Amino acid sequence: MKFAPLILKHLRKNWLRTTSTVLAMSVCIFLFCVLQTVIAAVNFGLHAGSTRRLVVRDYVSLANNLPINYKQKIAALPGVTDTTIVSWFGGIYRDPKNFFPNLAVEPEAFLRIYPEIMLPEDQKERWLSDVRGAIVGRKLAQRFGWKIGDTFELESFIPPYRVGKPFDFVIDGIYDTDEAKYPGTDLGAMYFNFKYLYEATGRQVGIGTLTAQIDDPSHAGAMSKEIDQAFENSDNQTKTETEQAFRAGFVALAGNLALLLNGIGMAVAFTILLVTANTMSIAVRERQQEIAVLKTLGFSSGLVMGLILSEALLLGLMGGLLGILIARGIITGLTYVPFLGDVLRGFPNLGLSPEIAALGVGIALLLGLLAGFIPALLAYRARITDALRQV
Amino acid sequence: MSATAVAAKTGAVSVQNVVKIYQRDSQQIKVLDGLTLEVPQGEFMALMGPSGSGKTTLLNLIAGIDRATSGSVHVAGTDLTPLSEGELAKWRSSNVGFIFQFYNLIPVLNAVENVELPLLLSDLSKKERRERALTALRIVGLADRSKHYPRQLSGGQEQRVAIARAIVTDPAVLVADEPTGDLDSKSAEEILDLMQTFNREFVKTIVMVTHDPRAASRAHTQRHLDKGVLTE
Repeated sequence: MKFAPLILKHLRKNWLRTTSTVLAMSVCIFLFCVLQTVIAAVNFGLHAGSTRRLVVRDYVSLANNLPINYKQKIAALPGVTDTTIVSWFGGIYRDPKNFFPNLAVEPEAFLRIYPEIMLPEDQKERWLSDVRGAIVGRKLAQRFGWKIGDTFELESFIPPYRVGKPFDFVIDGIYDTDEAKYPGTDLGAMYFNFKYLYEATGRQVGIGTLTAQIDDPSHAGAMSKEIDQAFENSDNQTKTETEQAFRAGFVALAGNLALLLNGIGMAVAFTILLVTANTMSIAVRERQQEIAVLKTLGFSSGLVMGLILSEALLLGLMGGLLGILIARGIITGLTYVPFLGDVLRGFPNLGLSPEIAALGVGIALLLGLLAGFIPALLAYRARITDALRQV
Repeated sequence: MSATAVAAKTGAVSVQNVVKIYQRDSQQIKVLDGLTLEVPQGEFMALMGPSGSGKTTLLNLIAGIDRATSGSVHVAGTDLTPLSEGELAKWRSSNVGFIFQFYNLIPVLNAVENVELPLLLSDLSKKERRERALTALRIVGLADRSKHYPRQLSGGQEQRVAIARAIVTDPAVLVADEPTGDLDSKSAEEILDLMQTFNREFVKTIVMVTHDPRAASRAHTQRHLDKGVLTE
């Protein structure tokens, strides 16, 4: 601690250089935190996928529906224990900016297959007996101030589901979940009875996706293949995959996006590393005389190296903390931006986590350490007589 | 037994048969050629000679900031030859004070902080360090400039702060490399007065490299080097 004033005074002396380095570092950490938060938010949804659940959809496109009779055929396959239709409705509540996921399901089977959707018994009974009924997640209810018995309307943007007037719904239940047992469960979604959609569209619509529960998760690959083979020669071939794979593929994010975002983060971090290393090198080169004087006074080479590294670490720490503050502000602020905020709110777990913040500080310190290492090593090796001769 | 006491018995500085060779690319340059020098305790010695004669090299060896190629260097009762870099650094921190031609104060530190710098390596408390640094500044007559930064001081004042820094750890030996080389004649006289005071009143052994005959005349003895050999 007694050397702290020496370190701080050097940073203060070149305040412009210090400020620009800290800002550069903070941009790096800010980007890292935001990118990691997005990746974490995407991955969070993937955790909800059960390995016992397979998702069957049209081979060509999610926009194509599967024939209704596929449900019976799939349910009859050995190893399939239960099935439910889960069709994306694409309903809009008043304004597109009020986006939330809304899906048509078969309530009884849906609640059996998705135990993470937890409803009080009375609400469950009400929903099962009410064709117009809907259940909404706790966060969605909070978002719009909904309570049991409230009604609302949704109008789908998907052509087969547009029937000339909005669909009206009654809130029969507000579901919750056990977040410890079922992390990643979306509490911002709404589910309603597929029968309502089917009847309202004149029994013209098919299955968006079908969730098939299987008896043994280790057979998921074989079962997927078996289901797809069953419809191999039909007009509507299927594509079956685990729920996790479906979610990852559906949002087209988990694999490639993470790679892309991490790549961007790495490139930025490397650039900042070079900038900071350059700054530290200049700072140390300017202080050749001082380093020689310190060594003449009895400061060991290790201590001088430690002082330079401490300076670099302090730059990293300041940059890291500032970056986290900016990231936190931006992540919160973006959810209030029109349209973009609606998309971001669609992620159930968007927010800078303490883990990502700690990792951000750790990376900032590592960048500082790496940036300061070569200059510190040069200071360590500097011979007093050589350095004094350059003065 | 203190370093000063040991030095009183053995001589403050004893350089025996020292050879110093610098390697420049493939060329070897012999700067000191079997040089032997004894500086008794309490001596004020001036080393003179033309540029490249090896004066500064000899001073660096005595100060423990360079190593001889062969021969031995004893200073303040310690044989510097076998010491590691770390041991040499520790030895320098309490046994030798260095006065540079260009003062070499740390620009971001004020006068008292510059003087306090060597004490950071001691076990003294913050308060004790500050008191000692202020005392050293008082001795060189700059107590009222303790909060001034080097850029706010004249050359003579900077050199006095540098001298305060050199004496603050109470070393047995002071080495000075052209201490008046960058000063006007009045400031140079003040610095030499100060050095004489330390020599007389505090019995500091001083080895001073200088080109200036007037500065050299303040010393008890003058030795001349030429081509790495003492000539008188």
